[in-house]
Amino acid sequence: MSEQRSHVGSPVLRRDLFAKVTGSAKYTVDITPSGTLHAKVVRSSHAHARITRINREQALRTPGVVAVVIAEDLKDLFSRFGHIVPDHCILATGKVRYYGEPVALVVAETLFAAEDGAAAVEVEYEDLVALMNPAEALAQDAPLIHEEFYRAATDESFAAMAAAPTPEEEAGERDNVAHTVEIGWGDVDAAFADAHLVVEDGPVHYPMLYAYAMEPYNAVADFHDGQLSVVSTAQHPFMVRTDLARIFDLPLSRVRVEAPYLGGGYGSKSYTKVEPLAAVGSWATGRPVKLVLDVEEAIYTTRADSADVTVRSAFDADGTIIAREFDLVLDSGAYADNSPLVLAKAVNRCFGPYRVPNVRARGRSVYTNTSPASSYRGFGAPQGALAGELNLERAARELGLDSFEIRRRNLVRPGEEILPGKRGIDADLLADLEMLSDSLNSHASADSAIGIGFTASDAGAFPVSTAQVRLQVDGSVLVLSGSTEMGQGSESALAQIAAHELGVPLESVSIAQSDTIGPYERTTGASRTTTLAGLALQRACTDAKQKVAEMAAEVFGVPATDIESIEGGVRVGDKSPVGFGEVISRWFGAAAGEVTGVGLLRRDGVTKKMPPFWEVGVVGVDLAIDPDTGVIRVQQLATVADVGFAINPRAVEGQDLGAATQGLGGALFEELVYDGPQLTNPNIVEYRVPRMQDLPERIDTMIAARGDGVGPYGAKGAGEGTLNPIAAAVAGAVAKATGKWPTRVPLTPERVWRLMNDLPEDGD
Amino acid sequence: MLGSFTVSRPTELEDALRLIGEDSLAYWGGTELFLAMKMQLLVPDNLVDLKAIRQLSDVRRTDSELVIGAGVTHEQIAEDKTVRESAGLLSSVTARVGNSRVRAQGTIGGNLCFAEPRSDLATALLALDASVDFRSATGQRSLTIPEFMLGPYWTAREPEELLVAVRIPLPAPAGVYLKFQFTERPSVAVAAVESGADQPVRVAIGAVSEIPILVTADDWSGIDAAAIAAGIEPVPDLTGSVSYKRHLVEVLVNKAVAAVQAGVRDV
Repeated sequence: MSEQRSHVGSPVLRRDLFAKVTGSAKYTVDITPSGTLHAKVVRSSHAHARITRINREQALRTPGVVAVVIAEDLKDLFSRFGHIVPDHCILATGKVRYYGEPVALVVAETLFAAEDGAAAVEVEYEDLVALMNPAEALAQDAPLIHEEFYRAATDESFAAMAAAPTPEEEAGERDNVAHTVEIGWGDVDAAFADAHLVVEDGPVHYPMLYAYAMEPYNAVADFHDGQLSVVSTAQHPFMVRTDLARIFDLPLSRVRVEAPYLGGGYGSKSYTKVEPLAAVGSWATGRPVKLVLDVEEAIYTTRADSADVTVRSAFDADGTIIAREFDLVLDSGAYADNSPLVLAKAVNRCFGPYRVPNVRARGRSVYTNTSPASSYRGFGAPQGALAGELNLERAARELGLDSFEIRRRNLVRPGEEILPGKRGIDADLLADLEMLSDSLNSHASADSAIGIGFTASDAGAFPVSTAQVRLQVDGSVLVLSGSTEMGQGSESALAQIAAHELGVPLESVSIAQSDTIGPYERTTGASRTTTLAGLALQRACTDAKQKVAEMAAEVFGVPATDIESIEGGVRVGDKSPVGFGEVISRWFGAAAGEVTGVGLLRRDGVTKKMPPFWEVGVVGVDLAIDPDTGVIRVQQLATVADVGFAINPRAVEGQDLGAATQGLGGALFEELVYDGPQLTNPNIVEYRVPRMQDLPERIDTMIAARGDGVGPYGAKGAGEGTLNPIAAAVAGAVAKATGKWPTRVPLTPERVWRLMNDLPEDGD
Repeated sequence: MLGSFTVSRPTELEDALRLIGEDSLAYWGGTELFLAMKMQLLVPDNLVDLKAIRQLSDVRRTDSELVIGAGVTHEQIAEDKTVRESAGLLSSVTARVGNSRVRAQGTIGGNLCFAEPRSDLATALLALDASVDFRSATGQRSLTIPEFMLGPYWTAREPEELLVAVRIPLPAPAGVYLKFQFTERPSVAVAAVESGADQPVRVAIGAVSEIPILVTADDWSGIDAAAIAAGIEPVPDLTGSVSYKRHLVEVLVNKAVAAVQAGVRDV
């Protein structure tokens, strides 16, 4: 293989850039097959209530309405979904568990008619006690949100981390805990007893967040002749396919899920969301059904788990961590969705990339009567890191060390394990720390308050990935990947890898993604695509080149050993190079045919040890606080992308700035707030996201490329790590500036003002 | 989604006045109207599109007043030379209203009639001692801002009345407009202005309570920020509690007064 890295390692423009900027890019909402009906969801107006009656007569008489689907219509289907715990009713069955839960689906000739029909559906409720937070849900006499026990589905990622429920658990007393995770090693109690210093924090609160993909959830489904075809805003079309196949008892081969460009995902579009609703609408009417949610409906579909985290750490006199103990409670809302896995990851990630000889961490994911929580960029890491890093900051203060020094003394070295038996850390965190320190300190001003944060995420998810490379007779290349382009730039990165491997011009490579009639990809999440889909693609390219070499041997009548693979084709002995297209054409004996290279990746070889890679978060901020108002001004943001190798450095920097900005949102502004059964701010006016003028005054997105990843050319994933420690860094800086310890984010102006003035956290 | 409705496009004011009523609403930029219609808070049968009525877009100055037609957009006010020369504070305020789409579409008349309690314009116009002119098919009248603004989303305008113009007495007082804004709309806004020796100083405090409040004094020493803050009844929301907003009022009044005394203008 050529060592020339002309196509990888250089900044390239995103392939989707012009189409997206000019508006020609196709999204799910642009796809409306002829004869499509439009659906509107009738949603619960109660947080927790028995449904006593649904009257759809009036709705069915509304002009244009074709069908009104309710739970009882689905009794011949498997009417729930959920890849870990199939607890999620497609339509509320018997009772509603949160305000906004789908109760009925009105399907009509036009959206107007569907809305009129939805307004005419009468639902009567009998209120149950609503449990609006984990404290209420965990109370002794709390009613059950889920009376039924759901046997866990077989999710490999989850199974690899958490034991399946025992028969006793299945038969045992129910409570509102959706899932519990406990990990630990060493002798924690002895370490605390011997400690020079014990520092305790918490509960520290991480807020409910909305990922705010600009494109709300939408899908169009077409069920006919025993086949289901769905176009949807899904990050993981293959996972959605599994849920849909189970609902209708169809073989996987008869369900097709496509995901065109996504208008942002950030984890919020992982796993099944609106697809079952559109699908049952089509199943009930025999026509394609389109369902498009508005922003408020999207907020009530998925949010991030909020968390209350308590942490206790023990230190030696020199600042060495000797033990850490964590307790995490996640508010996971009415349905489990991916929260059990978010919890497992939060527990794995809370103690940080430090050498901690004694660990005890327990987490509980708790059902409440709020909107269901699931994946969100960072995946449990930000929740734990806020408490954990703030706690480390407090220890530094008490030990007389600065923020950098306490971490120098505790960060793991390359190759060291932070989770026993798992892959050692594939990053040089100490070198990253010095980069961060140089950047921030060389631009600090008199009113600077610098806060830093470090995280390590067991990333990549379960390594199952496939790719196909189809070499065309004209020398062009078609790459098929099941991964989804959701704005992160995978289309460009995959093209770079294929062009590099095959030695062909970048322009001759086309990428087709995220369609279940193409090759399988388990998920597009956990920052895995460049690393895992990239490895599968490399293998597909190797396979294709080998097939071409074999064909060339046959065509030229020479032993295969005489064929040399070169850029864009082969060389036979010392003769002139022959391009792929010519070999294909001569083998088929016509200007026709193609060669397909297949690449398969499983939990084996370089990806045998879990996790496939670590995604570290290395960030720092420099804040100034207005003493009059508590307003925080971010003077500097510095990030280190420890990515091994940046296939497209421009994309890596963009991802890190995006992740950091999203993290600043949760640190400074964003929080979904429940007041009674409803959110007070289920809209993007009152749910305050970062704006252009909120961007830090100085931004330094650094890349550390040390070739230490398992992915192509030593690459590792990026795109989430930088978000994870941002809130912790901000809170640490606020602690420095004010001398007071925040116990929650976002650090809104009022919260900072209260902190500065020793006022109670909540007050009139 | 918007329901169904008709749109009339009169070119003469008299025709528009005959059309406007309970279910037939004046429409110009739609920045507030369409939101209310999408939320079904307003369900009009008809919209009277006023954009073809030329006189509603006029800005003119006489010796004693600046008259701004109800249909002049925020952006037009901000860029208007006459406004800048005669009431510079209003230029500055309108340049900072909402976002660029709102400034391009929204009008001074629509803003006032919608009576969003966090309106920048209402606060600034109260400080500038402005009045508003109404016409209807049967008559006309003029109200001061306090007479006009009755409560949140509530004005003295009758359904058949159209706000046609805003009058600002000249020479307009000069000063500053400071606001604390964390989300889409301000949480607290303070306009502090003076007209010259022997004239009372005026401080308008808006966005924080249900309607903007005016405090006057013989001179700046008569403005007690702490007392003003204590007397305000803030509406708490996600951007601030009652006590935080009172604190912000005190901070902003002090800053605004100090700025005016230091000679800062039109900020």
